[in-house]
Amino acid sequence: MKYRDLFAGVGGLLVFFGLWQGLVSSGLVQYEYVPAPSVIARGLAGMAGGAEMWEEIGHTLMAALLGWAIACGAGTAIGVVLGLSPKTRRYTLASVEMLRPLPGIAFVPVALLLFGFSIQMELLVIVAPVIWPALVNSMGGVMAVSERLTDVARTLRLSALSTITTILLPAAAPAILIGARLALTLSLIMAVAAEMIGNPVGLGYAVVREQQAMHPDRMFGYVLIMGALGILLDAGLRGIARLLLPGEFRRLSIQGRA
Amino acid sequence: MAEAVFDLQGVELVLPAADGPRRILSNVGFSLGAGEILTIVGASGTGKTSLLRILAGLATPTGGTVRFRGQAMDGPQDGVAIVFQDYGNALLQWRSVARNVALGVERELRGEALAARVTEALRLVGLERNANDYPWQLSGGMQQRVQIARAVAMRPAVLLMDEPFGALDAMTKATQQDELLHLRQATGVSVVFITHDIEEAVYLGDRVALLSGSPGSITLSFDVDLPFPRDQVATRELPRFVALRHDMHAAIRATGGHG
Repeated sequence: MKYRDLFAGVGGLLVFFGLWQGLVSSGLVQYEYVPAPSVIARGLAGMAGGAEMWEEIGHTLMAALLGWAIACGAGTAIGVVLGLSPKTRRYTLASVEMLRPLPGIAFVPVALLLFGFSIQMELLVIVAPVIWPALVNSMGGVMAVSERLTDVARTLRLSALSTITTILLPAAAPAILIGARLALTLSLIMAVAAEMIGNPVGLGYAVVREQQAMHPDRMFGYVLIMGALGILLDAGLRGIARLLLPGEFRRLSIQGRA
Repeated sequence: MAEAVFDLQGVELVLPAADGPRRILSNVGFSLGAGEILTIVGASGTGKTSLLRILAGLATPTGGTVRFRGQAMDGPQDGVAIVFQDYGNALLQWRSVARNVALGVERELRGEALAARVTEALRLVGLERNANDYPWQLSGGMQQRVQIARAVAMRPAVLLMDEPFGALDAMTKATQQDELLHLRQATGVSVVFITHDIEEAVYLGDRVALLSGSPGSITLSFDVDLPFPRDQVATRELPRFVALRHDMHAAIRATGGHG
């Protein structure tokens, strides 16, 4: 079942690249800077031999993961507190709703002024928008926990701390995880954006550099690398989650297939 | 009778509602002896669940006194365990059956002592083969037994049960009733069992109380002088069973039934 899905997905990609290759090689589509996939592949192969591309991947990956970890840690902690306490919600939710729609990219000039060309600048641009999906989903997850479970915790005489750790957090874990997944995709996007118009390093800067150097094969190559990175990060997170939440995942996968 | 496990006198409960305060319970009084099964019958809206929440320490009465083993209640007490009707919400779906049952005792017991206690509780409800399953893999009746095992694992003096078999089909319900009687025999636990099913109340109870009216109060209470062990077929055919059932119905009709 799973492998069939995988084959179908890869097959779709192959058809896409095949069409692209056919349209460009046959001359039906002719732009000066749209190379055929075969040309992009050669460009990628050339870059893979050197160290630069790997360093750029490493930098962007590090910035995205670090920003994601900070945003998820803070966002989930705040979200859980807000989910638990109606009073705190009453005083803070208006601020959350006001700050949440701010486009993360608007923080680039602010971050540049504060931190110059640095990893801190990137982290600010990543954390500012990425904290929200983590916060909102974990808050919603904790609020949605059945009141019955709170009754259970009270009658089993669990302490406040163990009520949170053994009941509320696991019950909210699927929602927290959804927040973490949304946050991870957004972290990569924000890292690349910060590098394109701010800190001149990593994959984001590499795309701009190759564009200005008129190397469309390499430019497209970098774009594909970012796409692959997004898929790998998401798959990695889902794998970790499957290890952490064994029962929950078996339940969801069985229900999803029924 | 030995010292009462629960003793209630003049219990009142007023809860805030959208249209002002609402009286839920009025002048409720009864006592529960050690090892006794008290079934409380009532139509919906007579405050059955509220009464059980008071006994569990989840709700505080606005008047009267509730004593557990002679002491005034102050929140949930050690020795009082509750089984909710909605087992789907009350079980931790991400924990295996064994770890659900361990939930109330895993603080004080570790390792083999904990495993032994869990196995003992699972054996009492006939689920020792399902220790490693997850609740969502079990039928409704089995999930309810997991909840009962979780309560039993704490070795409670009293088991509070809120229409525990209300969501089960008739055959499963009959089996569960007999298992409850067997459990009481094996452990000597006292039980307050809430139901809207008159037959169930008479079949299970040493004593039956009728909660009726709005606000609810106990309008009828009598001992069930039916022999043990009870039998799903023979007991229900006894003239005495039929007579008690008849009296119950008549009393409900006299008090206006759905208050």
